[in-house]
Amino acid sequence: MSDEPAAAADGETGSSFADTVGIWMPRGDELRVMTATAVVLAVFPFVFSRMPVVSDLLQGYQSLATLILIWGIFALGFDLLLGYTGLLSFGHAAFWGGAAYAAGVFSQHVSGSPILMVLAGTVFAVLLAWFLGFLSLRRGGIYFAILTLAFAQMMFYMSSSPLAFITGGENGFTGVETAELFGLFPLESELPLVLETLLGTWLYAFVAVIALLCVALGYRILHSPYGMVFRAIRENEQRAEFVGLNVWRYRLMSFIISGFFAGVAGSLFVIHGTYVPLSSLYWTTSGEVVIMTVLGGTGSLFGPVVGAGVYLYVENIVSGGHPFEFVAPFWHLILGLVFVVTIWVFPRGIWGFFRDVRDYVTGGED
Amino acid sequence: MSFHIEAITVLLNGLQQGAIYILLAVGLSIILGTLKFVNFAHGALYLIGTYAGLLIALEVNLTSGQLQAWGFGQLGLGLGYIPALLIVPFVVFVVGLAMERWVVEPFKNRPDTDQILVTFGLAIIVQELFRAFFGSSSLPFSQPSWAQGPPQVPFLAAIPISSWRYYVIGITAVLVLIVYLLVEFTDFGLVVRAGTRDPEMVELLGIRLSRPYIVVFGIGAALAGVAGVVGGPLNPVNPTIGNEILVPAFLTVVIGGVGSIAGAVLGGVLFGVTQAVLVATYSAWAQVGLYAIAAIVLLVRPQGLLGEAEVAP
Amino acid sequence: MGTNGGQIDRRDVIKAAGAAGTAGLVGLAGCSGGGGGGGGESEYPELGNYPIEGDTATFGFNVPQSGPYASEGEDELRAYELAVDHLNNGGGWVDSQFDDLSGDGVLDYQIDSVSGDTATDADTARQSASRMIQRDEVIMVTGGSSSAVAIAVQELCQRENTPFMACLTHSNDTTGQNCVRYGFREMFNAYMTGQALAPVLTDEYGDDLQFYQLYADYSWGQTVQESMNQFLTEAGWEEVDSVATPLGTSDYSSYLSEAANSGADVLLLDHYGLDGATSVSQAVDAGLDEDMELVVPLYNRPMAEAAGAAIEGVFGTVAWDSQIDNTPSQEFLQAFQDEYDRIPSGPAQLAYGQTLQYAAAAERAGTFYPPEVIRQLEDYEYDNVGMGPETMRGCDHQAQRDVPVVRGLPESEQAEGQYFEIINVTGRDELGYACDAGPAGECELGEYGDE
Repeated sequence: MSDEPAAAADGETGSSFADTVGIWMPRGDELRVMTATAVVLAVFPFVFSRMPVVSDLLQGYQSLATLILIWGIFALGFDLLLGYTGLLSFGHAAFWGGAAYAAGVFSQHVSGSPILMVLAGTVFAVLLAWFLGFLSLRRGGIYFAILTLAFAQMMFYMSSSPLAFITGGENGFTGVETAELFGLFPLESELPLVLETLLGTWLYAFVAVIALLCVALGYRILHSPYGMVFRAIRENEQRAEFVGLNVWRYRLMSFIISGFFAGVAGSLFVIHGTYVPLSSLYWTTSGEVVIMTVLGGTGSLFGPVVGAGVYLYVENIVSGGHPFEFVAPFWHLILGLVFVVTIWVFPRGIWGFFRDVRDYVTGGED
Repeated sequence: MSFHIEAITVLLNGLQQGAIYILLAVGLSIILGTLKFVNFAHGALYLIGTYAGLLIALEVNLTSGQLQAWGFGQLGLGLGYIPALLIVPFVVFVVGLAMERWVVEPFKNRPDTDQILVTFGLAIIVQELFRAFFGSSSLPFSQPSWAQGPPQVPFLAAIPISSWRYYVIGITAVLVLIVYLLVEFTDFGLVVRAGTRDPEMVELLGIRLSRPYIVVFGIGAALAGVAGVVGGPLNPVNPTIGNEILVPAFLTVVIGGVGSIAGAVLGGVLFGVTQAVLVATYSAWAQVGLYAIAAIVLLVRPQGLLGEAEVAP
Repeated sequence: MGTNGGQIDRRDVIKAAGAAGTAGLVGLAGCSGGGGGGGGESEYPELGNYPIEGDTATFGFNVPQSGPYASEGEDELRAYELAVDHLNNGGGWVDSQFDDLSGDGVLDYQIDSVSGDTATDADTARQSASRMIQRDEVIMVTGGSSSAVAIAVQELCQRENTPFMACLTHSNDTTGQNCVRYGFREMFNAYMTGQALAPVLTDEYGDDLQFYQLYADYSWGQTVQESMNQFLTEAGWEEVDSVATPLGTSDYSSYLSEAANSGADVLLLDHYGLDGATSVSQAVDAGLDEDMELVVPLYNRPMAEAAGAAIEGVFGTVAWDSQIDNTPSQEFLQAFQDEYDRIPSGPAQLAYGQTLQYAAAAERAGTFYPPEVIRQLEDYEYDNVGMGPETMRGCDHQAQRDVPVVRGLPESEQAEGQYFEIINVTGRDELGYACDAGPAGECELGEYGDE
């Protein structure tokens, strides 16, 4: 592990040309990972909401499948910050909600093209992340958590009252006008042929493609010199500093990257819901993504996505009664208990737990 | 109405609002300063204090929740406010000791982020337990009949503030003074202060810090409990009040300066008064102002207004 | 806005295709049961969750079970469950007031229900409604208690072609600028509260007074502030100032002090639910009632109960009250008391009435096909929910009805379930506005879905 930061620093200064050329080439296991992800994304809505026996057991439904992917993207990006750089932000609602408002306002005044909406929301989130990161990263640990929290809450209260003429305040932003994808396909309409059975709507297909790209991007980042540096900083900040890395700059970068993912997800959230609730900026939203990420497993690419799925499943299906009547009122309590147990006993989350089990069974190679 | 009455009203409102923040922040601050432990479950202690106070002081009718389902529709001792104010601190003190023993100890040597996460999780669990047993709907926690309406004193009677709010300010002042004297002028305080500065040296001198630390945590918890009892009658009581008050309380600590009692007081007063002034002038900005102040203070003076250099990483 | 191009219901098609696809792909025998095309042949195309599969029609009850309006939500849910029971087994208004209903289900379907918690939050409410519509395939959604929630949910219902029977929502916008074809409101609105309350207030407190308003900062509070200002100003009063307070504020002391120091004669607290109970209690605690008259434009039984002694002498309007002396009201009171051993609140009457109203419209239409049910509800005239003769106006889906004005009782006269006295019931002829005026002027209902 110790030689990686040095190599990374090397790549940073010297071989940027080689990086540019090689950037589109698959690395390591990438092809395998991408294919597997694509297959899972392709069958997920079918299994979850339509497959005869299984979906009756799961009690899933199409729009929840879409929502899980959207939050999955959010959590994946959040983990790049928490799991890899070791920074705990309690203010990611600012990027999620900020992007949602930006995409919503954009759709009303400029264009309702879903792709442009995602672009608009993401650009807004990235700029905001750059600005807030610049301010919040002046101090680490608890101060970072509280500063991000304070800034996000400030945005919440800004949109609740002084900016209500844009955001709609407590009423939420209702003026979202999503147009057809590529000007042709209404997002709510069904896909043709067998795709309809598997994926359902154009909306899901759109979200799934973006999710796949996000996974690819996340994989790339983690397997790039940047990703190595992030881990080095988490492991030992001082040592990383000694080998000549500008820790502050890398932290800012990882903050911006996670803001990027939150922005993509927030924009998709408004396309999915055609509505921006004020609560999307509230600190409980930040808390939710923290829980999802930790629950699923920090420091892994897919753990947080699994966490998002589990969280939303419990929030939307277990809470709704049938077939969980006896625990329905306690869904939040159950999540809290599982969350605490996870931190206490399985710091690597659900994903890590299953990996450990797999390694144990197969003899372990990790 | 004359300007000075209005100014005094705003000031008193600010002080009263600040008083609740102060009670919470002092506890948080001494815990953070000495044990270096980040307690996101401090709001949960406030919540426990409020419900305990309510159930000791009054009798309430539950309209939902498990207890009601089990036939405990009416609950509470109805002993009145003074007994509640005396009993609750001990109850929450004990809760604090238990928490120190079973949560703080195991997480002492884990990263800050783990401490934040585990206490955040505990806060959710406590909140949801209260929701499960007492229901989500709010319970009325009326102000004591002897403290309703403005005090019948010549000048204060003209100010539209209920007597209970004066009691809140008074009780807070007394308690904070006691804690301050305890930390500044007793042997216990000496050990605690020395432990804050250089725990290794204190241990080397043969003083075990674990005992004073557990007491510090208990005191911090008890203060949160008192905040719950005095703050309870100012708000309707429901399971979310703990986590709602947590954020401003934490901000009070960090703008005042970690480990500084005077800083917590200053931060609380600053927050309370700012909020009251903004409500009276530009009310749409009242909440934004709070967070803007926090952000500015932290950016300009990261260690907090009265904080001493670097304390936490 | 991406409305469905085809008139075929997406989910059913997908479901059917899903079963077929599995059979083809995996060779698995379709296990989705012999239901196939649903019970009986239907004369209408598929739309929303029509036609219903199986022999049970499901209603979705989306009410706040936590948050500031939780008490109202609990009472609504009780009334909803009572309505389902009566629809299936007879009893209450089903036997006595609604000739269209048989007491043995609706249109040969038994009625089932699912409920969700809106948490008084628009986002949660929409997620919950979309689960009901997509997974539980509800044929009708109802609920309310916050106008922001009702507006957000009815917009979703319009898109999903599922009727929404609004319960308690009092904002002008619900049947004004945010109205939808698929939403119906039995409750009156802020505009009518202003019309009903202004004459009573000027009579009681005199002319040429100054008033001050604190209002909840969202759709409902904003329109109450607007309407109260409009009608009190027309009556000769003058507004000193109006200040917005965030929804869910728990300590109003700073706001109240400002109001007290303003020198106004009357203070209007445009807060509802728990917020209303809190702000009026705190106003009395701070001694504001000694120099000012307090008014809470919209209140109800749980609020008055929570406010206790503070409600004494406070004027306001209520949705409905058990003290209203007519046959339907007393029958509902009786049925509710028999079931739950407690007195129903105004929101409960709305919940019960709206559910039966929908069922009766489906019976008259002879189908659950949403556009037909909607046409049965539009311009329907009725006199069976305890508020006198009413019309569900077709141009904005706003019921034209009477509005009860009440005044809080002193604590010594309060008794179980009786916290206020009815001052008058303002007749519907003195209230309301034309289809091209007031809030209705901004209303565009949108499509039936079968155009």
